[in-house]
Amino acid sequence: MSIFAQLLEFIGDPAHWSGPRGIPVRIFEHVWYTALSLGIAALIALPVGLLIGHTGKGAFLAISIGNAARSFPSLGVLTLLVLAVGLGLTPVLVALVVLGIPPIVAATYEGIRGVSPATVDAARGMGMTEFDVLRRVELPIALPLVISGLRSSALQIVSTATIAAFVALGGLGRFLIDGLGVRNYAEMVTGAVLVALLAIAVDLVFALFSRIVVSDGLTGRAPAPSADTDLAPATTH
Amino acid sequence: MRWDWIQNNLENIGELLAFHLYLAVVPVVLGLALALPIGFLAVRWPRLYPPMLATSGVLFSIPSLALFIILPGIIGTQILDPINIVIALTIYAGALLVRPVADGLRSVPDHVRQSATAIGYERWRQVLKVELPIALPFVFAGLRFVTVANISMVSVGALIGIGGLGELFTDGFQRNFVTPIVVGMVLSVALALIADSVIVLIQRVLTPWARAGRSS
Amino acid sequence: MIKFENVTKRYPGGTVAVDELNLTVPPGKITVFVGPSGCGKTTSLRLINRSIELTSGRILVDGRDVTSVPAVALRRGIGYVIQHGGLFPHQTVIDNVATVPYLLGWDKKKARARAHELLERVGLPASFAKRYPAQLSGGQQQRVGVARALAADPPIMLMDEPFSAVDPIVRASLQEEFLRLQQELGKTIVLVTHDIDEAIKLGDNVAVFAEGGKLAQLDSPARILANPADEFVEDLVGRDRGYRGLSFVTAHDLPVHPVPTTALGASTADARAAVRDQRWVLALDADRRPLGWLDVSQSDMDTVDTVESAALLSVGATFTGDSSMRRVLDGALASPAGYSVGVDADGAFTGAVSTAEVAQHLASQDRVSVEPL
Repeated sequence: MSIFAQLLEFIGDPAHWSGPRGIPVRIFEHVWYTALSLGIAALIALPVGLLIGHTGKGAFLAISIGNAARSFPSLGVLTLLVLAVGLGLTPVLVALVVLGIPPIVAATYEGIRGVSPATVDAARGMGMTEFDVLRRVELPIALPLVISGLRSSALQIVSTATIAAFVALGGLGRFLIDGLGVRNYAEMVTGAVLVALLAIAVDLVFALFSRIVVSDGLTGRAPAPSADTDLAPATTH
Repeated sequence: MRWDWIQNNLENIGELLAFHLYLAVVPVVLGLALALPIGFLAVRWPRLYPPMLATSGVLFSIPSLALFIILPGIIGTQILDPINIVIALTIYAGALLVRPVADGLRSVPDHVRQSATAIGYERWRQVLKVELPIALPFVFAGLRFVTVANISMVSVGALIGIGGLGELFTDGFQRNFVTPIVVGMVLSVALALIADSVIVLIQRVLTPWARAGRSS
Repeated sequence: MIKFENVTKRYPGGTVAVDELNLTVPPGKITVFVGPSGCGKTTSLRLINRSIELTSGRILVDGRDVTSVPAVALRRGIGYVIQHGGLFPHQTVIDNVATVPYLLGWDKKKARARAHELLERVGLPASFAKRYPAQLSGGQQQRVGVARALAADPPIMLMDEPFSAVDPIVRASLQEEFLRLQQELGKTIVLVTHDIDEAIKLGDNVAVFAEGGKLAQLDSPARILANPADEFVEDLVGRDRGYRGLSFVTAHDLPVHPVPTTALGASTADARAAVRDQRWVLALDADRRPLGWLDVSQSDMDTVDTVESAALLSVGATFTGDSSMRRVLDGALASPAGYSVGVDADGAFTGAVSTAEVAQHLASQDRVSVEPL
């Protein structure tokens, strides 16, 4: 039976759409774990990245830790934490947050550091406080990179949350791990496809978000100057 | 930590380590072989560049465990066949490397490209002898990223029975036994750092000019 | 010799970069293509080595249509220098210079020997051979670029804004050296620039391009300054073209007159007596070569008994009969005394001339002479 037929058969069974083990619940769980972990990771990582980027202090340490963190196998982190702390939601969330932090710190730092020194100099020269410089100049210019850091982090968390089914977490990973346990390929494939779709959806959400919040002046989407723009009345927005 | 367990299992650990290295490195090589021509085409025909980026972004966003499971259904292999891991990681490596390859080729200054043409390089020789060498720092940055990512990703394969050092994680977890997990972590991280250093070393040998500007 | 016959380059979309260009580049001379950006000068240059393919018409190099030769072979026989040098950042200086010999299949030893010879020729020490381009200054990179273009001894050189990426002082010295090199080598050179001063300084012939890829005027620099073909060329050479034109008039017939002179160690009182109510005395050395101007009206003159070199002000540029009137005028305008100082072939003082006298002399000629030097 082809992969698509198995997929359709599993999805087509109404029994798989209800109850605490149904597809909607699993999707909700997965999204919930991801949002929660990403939120906590961002609360920690954003200020750290902004501070390091703005002051340039501690950059080496932060980058080194970030690089080292990338080499940590997520399955190892998960199993180790759960064995150390015990089964339950908390150790898994801790693992997800820990793995979600480095991409945000690194990207935020890179973004702030990438702002032209002339621009920052001009901002200070106009009398902005350091906080103003960060909030009104550096952050908006760094925003595309900050968002791409959040996106990497979110994808990392979606992926790790899938694996976390192995250490008894809910979410879509359950279909993969449970299906594997009983050699039910249809169930595994369904879980895998749903996780892949969820990841792609997360990717799209961030692309859309970036499009909305990033200034057109930074993306090249602003219309090219034409001869009469300069003369247009200032009431056009 | 139970040191005696390590002593008793040295041979097994060595095998897992070697297999881990194989599962991580072969896809990087294959991925680079894929990314070079694709990246080149995307530079040659700029209209291909945005869709290429989008495709590689989507491919890379798919969680590895999902890809390990979907792949056999698509290409008809057995689910426990190591080839699935190799192909999946090759897809990631290729997807990740097309961008550095394309960006590297695009970084060749126009005046350099122009003078290579005007000097009388044939097209293929210009790409091989001038453009590709200048793109190398970008390609190597990509290679470092991909190799480190692959080494940590291989472990996930343990969930479907093929994971190199990852098998130490599943094994340790199921037996509620920390030692193998720590050993697996240490070896995996060490492998990543060593592989990274080796790539940096190769890069230094191949691109002595890249450091020239800074040393003077 | 390079000949453009009715050459047109039209891009898909209709933009005409070069429009029916007819032009001959004489052998052994420097022909400069000059004009504002978008006038087709660079396109015209790049049509010659087929970096860009023409739409219609033809280009002959030594009587042969460039399209009759494979592009790669054609290019290896034509030297090419561009802004920033176009050096390969991943190769050492010596390998950069030896590129074309390598491509032509010379053996490595011969190619490198040739490259070393050329480095010396463009004034770079042999110790630079093993460096990478990033370790050189802009001017040095540009010299390497010229050396690379000369490597296979091509009879023709194409140069696209070769000196515009360096600062004005370095540019001036590169230009001087380039002219000296050309005197030795006698290549057929086409040079593109947007800088009319550079065109006038370097060109044996200057081709002025107007917008839309049309040739506005092809002439010697002196004639372009004196007789601009139309308003466009006149605008390009600018309002000070009369002054620039002085570059092409010699000081041969310029009358000079003596001024009070003194020598180092002579008494200041004597010097003062010699000038009577004037301010400036010219100090000469034992061979009558000018050393500097002395201002005898200076307040501390009373306290100094003899003429000291520390008290002298620079004479500035001196001139001979072969110098241009521009140099004479420059000398007079820059001199503290208001005089330009003339010397003979040995550097001995012959006489001086003031700004007003230069102007009078020029006015007495019919008009600024336009005979080329």
